[in-house]
Amino acid sequence: MSQKPVPIMQPWTKAFWAGAKEGKLLVQHCRDCQANIFFPKKVCPECWSRNLTWIEAGGKAKVYSFTQMLDMVEPVFWEDLPYVIAFVDLEEGIRMTTRIVNCRMEDICIGMDLEVVFQPLNDEIAMPCFQPADPALRLAASSADTEDAEDGKAEEEAFAGYQTILYEIGGKDDTVCFITLNRPDKFNAINRQMARELIHAFRRVREEAGVGVVVLAGAGEKAFCTGGDLEIFPSLADHQSSLNWLAHEGLDVQRAISGCEKVVVGKIHGHCLAGGLEIALACDLLYAGESARFGTTEINMGVLPGWGGTARLPRSMPVFRAREMIFSGRKDYTAKEVYDMGLLTRVFPDQEFEASFERIVANIAAKKPAALRMGKEVMARSVDGCDMETALALERNAIQWLTYAPDIQAMLEPFKADPTRLTRQQKKDNMASDQR
Amino acid sequence: MSHSKLAIIGIGEVPTGIYPDRSRWDIIYDTCIAAVNDAGIHKDEVEAVVTVAPQAQPEIYAEISFGKIPEELGLIGCRDVCVCNAGGASTSNCLRLAEQLIESGEARYVLIPHLTVHSTIPIPDLINFFAKAGIDRQWEYPFGQTYNGIIAMMTRRYMYESGTTAEEMASVVVSLRKWAALDPNSIFYKKEVPTIEKVLASGMVASPLHKRECNVLADGGAAMVVTSAENARARKAPAAYKLGEGSRYFSAFTTTRDSKKTETGMHDATFEALARAGLTTSDIDIWNVYLAYPVGHPLLMELLGLCEPGQAGKMFMEGHTAPGGKLPWATIGDAVGRGHTGSGVSMATYVDTARQLMGKAGERQVPDVKYVYQCTSGGSGMNFIASVWGRD
Repeated sequence: MSQKPVPIMQPWTKAFWAGAKEGKLLVQHCRDCQANIFFPKKVCPECWSRNLTWIEAGGKAKVYSFTQMLDMVEPVFWEDLPYVIAFVDLEEGIRMTTRIVNCRMEDICIGMDLEVVFQPLNDEIAMPCFQPADPALRLAASSADTEDAEDGKAEEEAFAGYQTILYEIGGKDDTVCFITLNRPDKFNAINRQMARELIHAFRRVREEAGVGVVVLAGAGEKAFCTGGDLEIFPSLADHQSSLNWLAHEGLDVQRAISGCEKVVVGKIHGHCLAGGLEIALACDLLYAGESARFGTTEINMGVLPGWGGTARLPRSMPVFRAREMIFSGRKDYTAKEVYDMGLLTRVFPDQEFEASFERIVANIAAKKPAALRMGKEVMARSVDGCDMETALALERNAIQWLTYAPDIQAMLEPFKADPTRLTRQQKKDNMASDQR
Repeated sequence: MSHSKLAIIGIGEVPTGIYPDRSRWDIIYDTCIAAVNDAGIHKDEVEAVVTVAPQAQPEIYAEISFGKIPEELGLIGCRDVCVCNAGGASTSNCLRLAEQLIESGEARYVLIPHLTVHSTIPIPDLINFFAKAGIDRQWEYPFGQTYNGIIAMMTRRYMYESGTTAEEMASVVVSLRKWAALDPNSIFYKKEVPTIEKVLASGMVASPLHKRECNVLADGGAAMVVTSAENARARKAPAAYKLGEGSRYFSAFTTTRDSKKTETGMHDATFEALARAGLTTSDIDIWNVYLAYPVGHPLLMELLGLCEPGQAGKMFMEGHTAPGGKLPWATIGDAVGRGHTGSGVSMATYVDTARQLMGKAGERQVPDVKYVYQCTSGGSGMNFIASVWGRD
């Protein structure tokens, strides 16, 4: 928290912060009229006495009101989101603004009993925050291991309800995870919340052992995604904010998708522009309806695609075509044009898109997740530019590993006694994989 | 009208919105000339200029403070000039200063301008201003507090105490946006009015406050010409007469604000204004409320006894406050409907109070308006100024 704004102190408030550093919650007190004073003053606001002292508060408080901050905070607080701010009433009769920590949002209520806990802001300053008085409601425990585990739990809890995306496991035998950008009234534009949720969702799906395929799509009829939300743009005027949007959210979203150990299938309809196209480029397969429109418009603002587009587009089609896309700033490339340029996996007439897409996904999702995972990794490393001998070694050893993976061996076991049965099964599976 | 000493006789306004190409001086020229023309006076009859302080715009603030408006507009009859800053309550205090200038005989006509151009303020400056103004740098800001956070907590507490539902809170936005959709000077003019569902479907900014329950920062400006009630009456032209006023100060910061004292203060300031006007709540035809966010609207309605406790949300939900309703409420849609222009929303509210009383409110004109209640508040709710206005 070292970059955080520090309290701007007055000479007569320094004792409060010195106390906080020592784990004491001090309240200014007037010896003459017995008033407890907050915010601390140079003179007693009740009687103008200068005969002031400090008493140590018991540290007990009740929630008067609270809010979970989710958006539209200063850049310096972004890394804390979501966080809970509260008005709390101390037993000593004063009200403070503070943060409620070590507690799940859904457990917080007006009137809840709290106790003070000091959180270091830097080497000099500790902030008086509050946690549930009831230990059973606290997330953090004393041992570091437990704290880590609880932090992970807290993160899961924080994302229990996504606000900007949908996350659903489905398909035959729950083998497909559907992650849907869900801001249809904003053309599914990416704001900071969506970036955080995408990173979380693509990491979360790694734990779904039965899932082999992730479908990334956009909600509504208008767009897959049109890139960064306009609300982000003002913050990009700040150099550090802009760099962080690219290097934190941008890079992490790309990595979460491209590094996801499932086959990520982009389902593109409507507009697929700028940052929307860039997250599509991080997918493994891209299918589009013929009315979809593509483009990178960043150059129209004097910049370039910065969420991997400038790097990935020339790796996804012949470079002379990629250059035109990036330099032209056009946003009206048709799906057919983009397919002809070499980018998309396949384009379907709009009326056939849903059914065809479903058939393709069902077929891939029927494969062993371990094989899909290994295939994704081998191909990714291979096309990243290693020499052919390395690529072949990677492939060979990966397949050897797969063959002896426990679930593949378990599948092969019944066939060992009857190799002809294996051949028959193989033919059946081959036929099932054909699309016509 | 024996209580009246001040009258608004001319108004001028530019549309609120995002207009980076419209300079601050464009706004001053256009609104002031329109107000002077609307008043039917000659520019040289303006004897004082009292300007609403432009927030977060230090350069023009300094220029205006040092007397540039009369020179720029060639107001050669001007005797005095100043800027008044009480945050969102500035316009109320500009009117009081004007009243004093007029009563003392120093000025016959006073020009009161306001302008805000948010769209060209560098983002770091805008953040620096709005993140810290009205939020204490020692006891609030370091925790990550924001204006939205403050209002979110007030909203949660109000909902807790009154039993108001999220849908009812959202219906306040719907009502405000219905007025705004009919207002040519609103950022949301002719824009689709969101449904309750759409308000609640907008992203949560700070629970329980949704994005559509927050304000859009915008550019805008307006000007008024005021004179004595006696002079206005003699001119026999449409005018809005100030009939009564009451005010209370609470605290600079929300942490230290006593909610009961605040509620009592809002109530008492209102009833003092009504008593000074010789009126009761039943005489009021329009409740022109400026409280910046939705939560203040049902809260005030209940405090003033305009509905049963806990029932204000229903009043909004049932459409009584919207155009055509029995309780016309915030006819520019407050900051949520108008677009937030710093201290300008209070100016815009006064301008609309005058516009309604002059019968110039177009599609939003409330029929047979005799008395309009008007309120302002500054900072993060540091004070509350209620006033009552009427026509001759």
